[in-house]
Amino acid sequence: MFPTDTMAQGHEGAEYGFAFLDEDAKRELRRSIFKAVCIPGHQVPYASREMPIARGFGTGGMQVTLALLGPRDCVKVIDQGADDSVNAANIRAFFSLTCPGVSGTTLTEAASVIQTRHRIPELPLRNDQILVFQVPYPDPLVLVEPNAATRRRMHGRADYARLWVKLYEDMVAFDEITISHRYPTRINGHYIIDPSPIPRYDVPKLHQADCLYLFGAGREKRIYAVPPHTDAIPITFADVPFTVEEFIDRKTGKRHCCRRCGATDSFLDEFPDEDGNRVFQCSDAAYCDSRLMQQEAAE
Amino acid sequence: MTPILNVEHLTRIHGKGCDRCLTSTGPEHDTNICPHCGSVVAVADASFQLHRGEVLGIMGESGSGKSSLVKMLYFDDQPTSGRATYDLDGQSHDLFSLNEAQQRRLRDTAMGMVYQNPSLGLNFDISAGGNIAERLLMSDELRYGVIREKARALLARTEVPPARMDELPRNFSGGMQQRVQIARALSTGAPLLFLDEVTTGLDLSVQARILDLIMELQEESGVSMLVVTHDLGVVRHLTTRTIVMKYGRIIESGLTDQILEDPQAAYTQQLVSSAL
Repeated sequence: MFPTDTMAQGHEGAEYGFAFLDEDAKRELRRSIFKAVCIPGHQVPYASREMPIARGFGTGGMQVTLALLGPRDCVKVIDQGADDSVNAANIRAFFSLTCPGVSGTTLTEAASVIQTRHRIPELPLRNDQILVFQVPYPDPLVLVEPNAATRRRMHGRADYARLWVKLYEDMVAFDEITISHRYPTRINGHYIIDPSPIPRYDVPKLHQADCLYLFGAGREKRIYAVPPHTDAIPITFADVPFTVEEFIDRKTGKRHCCRRCGATDSFLDEFPDEDGNRVFQCSDAAYCDSRLMQQEAAE
Repeated sequence: MTPILNVEHLTRIHGKGCDRCLTSTGPEHDTNICPHCGSVVAVADASFQLHRGEVLGIMGESGSGKSSLVKMLYFDDQPTSGRATYDLDGQSHDLFSLNEAQQRRLRDTAMGMVYQNPSLGLNFDISAGGNIAERLLMSDELRYGVIREKARALLARTEVPPARMDELPRNFSGGMQQRVQIARALSTGAPLLFLDEVTTGLDLSVQARILDLIMELQEESGVSMLVVTHDLGVVRHLTTRTIVMKYGRIIESGLTDQILEDPQAAYTQQLVSSAL
């Protein structure tokens, strides 16, 4: 995965080396990634470089991906599950421009590196795949403690009582925990991470997975990781179970299904159609497409 | 019987300090600022013992070092020198040689603090119940139902109406905020409580009710207390033994009655006779 000779030659019009970043930057990123893998859940600082897109548009995820890519890799980029949204399409175009030899794909199973914003693909990832998250806010404690130095000390001491107090206040006000995304998750029994704005539905996929999860925050300059086969437990009370979105239709009591592929086992996006009716559709476009193709082939 | 808290030669100097700080400050020099290096000697060579189930008063004018002393014992501040041992369930803890995690553990589970200013002891952005929940969560109680019940019971015990349990303490009166603080300090069943000027700034009838509450709780649970105050009434009401501080030094100590009736040190005489 980490090529030694990465200076691409003959790439027309580009004055950059392979994968845009200079070798020192990639080296530093890889060191930080190694450290993040060694200390699951710990936020490792790194010198986030200027990228040709603005911070907040996935520069952290991009830098991690660029540090990982080699000429034989196959990369997939998704935004809220879709391969063709502006953010994803442009980042994929950037990779193909700056990483000659790297192929792009929309197939989850074909990708060796997947960069994502806000979703984990429906298809379980394998041990030869890496999922890279674009992270806006790496620190879950930012909600309860404004001072960064204090937050780092709290992480070191696993001093997370105030996060639970948030849950307590939620229970008091609403009788349930109302965090819909960025659900604080405890990694390997110590650090609690902000798993980026993935829905609750995706949080259990972090637990004891086969693949490596890497999180890159460009603006906040932090990298952290959930290595394969590592515990990732969403925080909750002993007598209040963690729940995920169920997409139950209140009228029929049944789960909504995808209007395109009919799936009842995927995370659904809800939106109004042309006539103003509520409709549901798989948020993972590649999953939906592959189901449709299978159905066509069966017919 | 070993004392629950044994404090030996506790000293806190703010500033760079010099060799002559301790010998050139104190009541006999009428200052706690070292004339040679300008450092402030907040507490100097303080030694005392607190016995199990005892209520010990620390009396003195403002700036005499009484709050500094308690802050160090509650790990809000670190001493320049000296040591203190806390005897918990037959096990002796050398407070200032513990690492930060051990100190936090001890503070969260085995000590309670009630500050003069409720904004120091309470988080005004979370509900009264949440403030108590925080202490319980810090001592690893993760059952929502249990936390809720305990918080309700503690607030009822400290006479905060249970109906206002889920309100923000910033909407409470000063006396009620102080009650929430006391409930919070009691929540983990700690055998040692620090009360730092708990009744200062409250009106007289509220003061009396808070003091009654503290006395009742003390009799119920046998908790040991260190009560910091400049109010002679509080000392007379709550404590059995008292130490008097001035310019960071302990200038007199003994039974409260004895100190109030027959003060020996000139400063204590002045303090007692100046009561309104």
